[in-house]
Amino acid sequence: MKLTIGWLYPKQMSTYGDRGNVLTIFKRCEWRNIKVDVLEIDLKERIDPKSIDFYFFGGGQDVAQVEVSNDLHKYKKEALFEAVKLKATIFSICGGYQLLGKYYKTFESSEIPGLGLLDAFTVAGDKRMIGNIMIEANSSIPEKNIVGFENHSGKTYLGKNAVALGRVVIGNGNNGEDRTEGAMQDNVIGCYLHGPVLAKNPKFADYLIEKALSRKNKDFKLKKLDDSLEKATHETAIERSHNP
Amino acid sequence: MDPRFLTAKLSASILKTSLRLFGRGATAAPGLVAEYIDPNSLKKLSQYVSDIILVTGTNGKTTTARIIGSILENSNKKFIHNREGSNLMRGLIGSLISKTPIFPSNEKPIALLEVDEVTLPKVISQTSPSIIVINNLFRDQLDRYGEVETIRKIWVNTLRNLDESTIVILNSDDPSVAHLGNGLRGRVIYFGIEDKKYSLEGLPHASDFTSCIECGSELKYDIVYMSHIGRYKCQKCGLRRPKPDIFAEKIDLRDETGFKARISTPEGKFDIKTSIPGLYNVYNSLGAISAALALNISLQKIIQAFKGFEAAFGRTEVIDVAGKKLFLALAKNPTGFNELIRTIFTGRKKRYAFIAVNDLIADGKDVSWLWDVDFELMKGKVEKVWVSGMRATDMNLRLKYADIKVEGYNSNITQALESAYTNIPQGETLFVFPTYTPMLEIKKFLSEKGYSERFWED
Repeated sequence: MKLTIGWLYPKQMSTYGDRGNVLTIFKRCEWRNIKVDVLEIDLKERIDPKSIDFYFFGGGQDVAQVEVSNDLHKYKKEALFEAVKLKATIFSICGGYQLLGKYYKTFESSEIPGLGLLDAFTVAGDKRMIGNIMIEANSSIPEKNIVGFENHSGKTYLGKNAVALGRVVIGNGNNGEDRTEGAMQDNVIGCYLHGPVLAKNPKFADYLIEKALSRKNKDFKLKKLDDSLEKATHETAIERSHNP
Repeated sequence: MDPRFLTAKLSASILKTSLRLFGRGATAAPGLVAEYIDPNSLKKLSQYVSDIILVTGTNGKTTTARIIGSILENSNKKFIHNREGSNLMRGLIGSLISKTPIFPSNEKPIALLEVDEVTLPKVISQTSPSIIVINNLFRDQLDRYGEVETIRKIWVNTLRNLDESTIVILNSDDPSVAHLGNGLRGRVIYFGIEDKKYSLEGLPHASDFTSCIECGSELKYDIVYMSHIGRYKCQKCGLRRPKPDIFAEKIDLRDETGFKARISTPEGKFDIKTSIPGLYNVYNSLGAISAALALNISLQKIIQAFKGFEAAFGRTEVIDVAGKKLFLALAKNPTGFNELIRTIFTGRKKRYAFIAVNDLIADGKDVSWLWDVDFELMKGKVEKVWVSGMRATDMNLRLKYADIKVEGYNSNITQALESAYTNIPQGETLFVFPTYTPMLEIKKFLSEKGYSERFWED
């Protein structure tokens, strides 16, 4: 059994500890004797959609958005659409999430084009939404509450083809207005949860691993791990998120 | 004298005394009172001092200011330093207010102020500093300002309006800092390192400014000292690292015990040997030497000062505790922690470690950054490690994913610390890495136990 991870723009889009998600997937597979290859996909590099099961796309600084958007359209767009057809899983956070939506409208009203893999768009906000966040995940996710840390000024709104990852219990979420957080469409998932989110929400991590592996092995089920420390961290994070 | 300001100054002085009576080492409260009574306190206080030296940057502010302090002391120059740790507006006011006489005197002291990165504009709007030292800019407490780029932009706008008389001292090896020197009215001095042998193999994960600030293309590095610090150039627009005026070469890092280096300046070369460890302290030393030279202090005095220099409060400090040693070093962001790991866990000896992480405002409420630290480099180099603090479980989990087994985790910091140092052999050192508020708690605990001086009395 093998999982191949494509890590999109690890240099530009990895400011808030998001690489911990790649490490979490890596270790949780390794502990189950599933081999993992991690391919770092940088600017100007092309993707072979047949070989990658799981894509990770993290958050960076706002200035990187334009450069990465240009690169996505020039070098990666077709391959990522093909990847979705081939049932690969794409998991994105913050800046990565925004660029998988249709566009990001800046203050100056120019639009940074996204890929449109998610039916969502983002508008620059004047207030940065920073703080602990907890959501109640939608029923397709086995983790009831997902906890993390948000840090974004963009406000994201969902179209009808995307469903929210969950409902905000504590924090702002997509836009601070409609209590939605994150988006799901086909096998593409986006959210604003740093933390890193997969490390402290292990059922969510395993859900993504299973989804990615089921591309080649239908109905694949993961073995259970001892998650007592992960659960304790999850609980601490929830407890601390009540602390303003 | 302006009565409003006099009231502010007197109230603050009274408050300062009473806080000390209760044994709290805080300096912020008196400044807060003064700032409340007179918002222009800092401007008025600046009449009480001769030169103002500001030190800022993500890491190394305290140590750099302390080295400057030792050099000033050695040159018999009177100065006021906000040594007690608060580097926000009210802390600066608090320090100046309590250390200046009620009426200005003829022999004015120098104000040596370490300043929070984002407080810099406020300080500059009320004073005209003689010297500003900027050491580096890394990701740190992103829950406060969102992005490091935000801070860089604030600096650009602030420095642009400085007087011609202000000398700006910049790290040539940090592209985000070096670029600040472009287009300034006054004199700019660059400092840096010229020693290939301490280059890393490539940029570490926690690098923030790897694209050219002028044109946005990827910078090319032929040397990386840490994070995005090194010898870089842009292949597209030709931007390159400025040649440093003052630099260190022939560096010999001696694990946690200190370093030796040859310092080259326009005034001549000299060798230094210090008890402060790590490449980051080479940069702190260079920043301080540059500031001293800008003040026209002789090389002789600088060399003398280095001979007697003690590490700054809490940044790196060794304390004897019942036949064992505690090595305390503040670890509050990825690059700071990475450099501590590189300094302490890369030798042959396995070490004992204690890590305490809180998530209060002063620590940064987001603990995601722990996953940007390369704890994997500690693997196989740790004899035992304990974790503590409000986010002990997060720290424990991070180490689990780095394949490092944790001895115990207890969120009560002083209990956990006591149990850790009790459980190491006599004569051994426990390397203690707290974020900001655990550092204060540990210092207080150790001083109550009688193991260290009350920490504001120096």
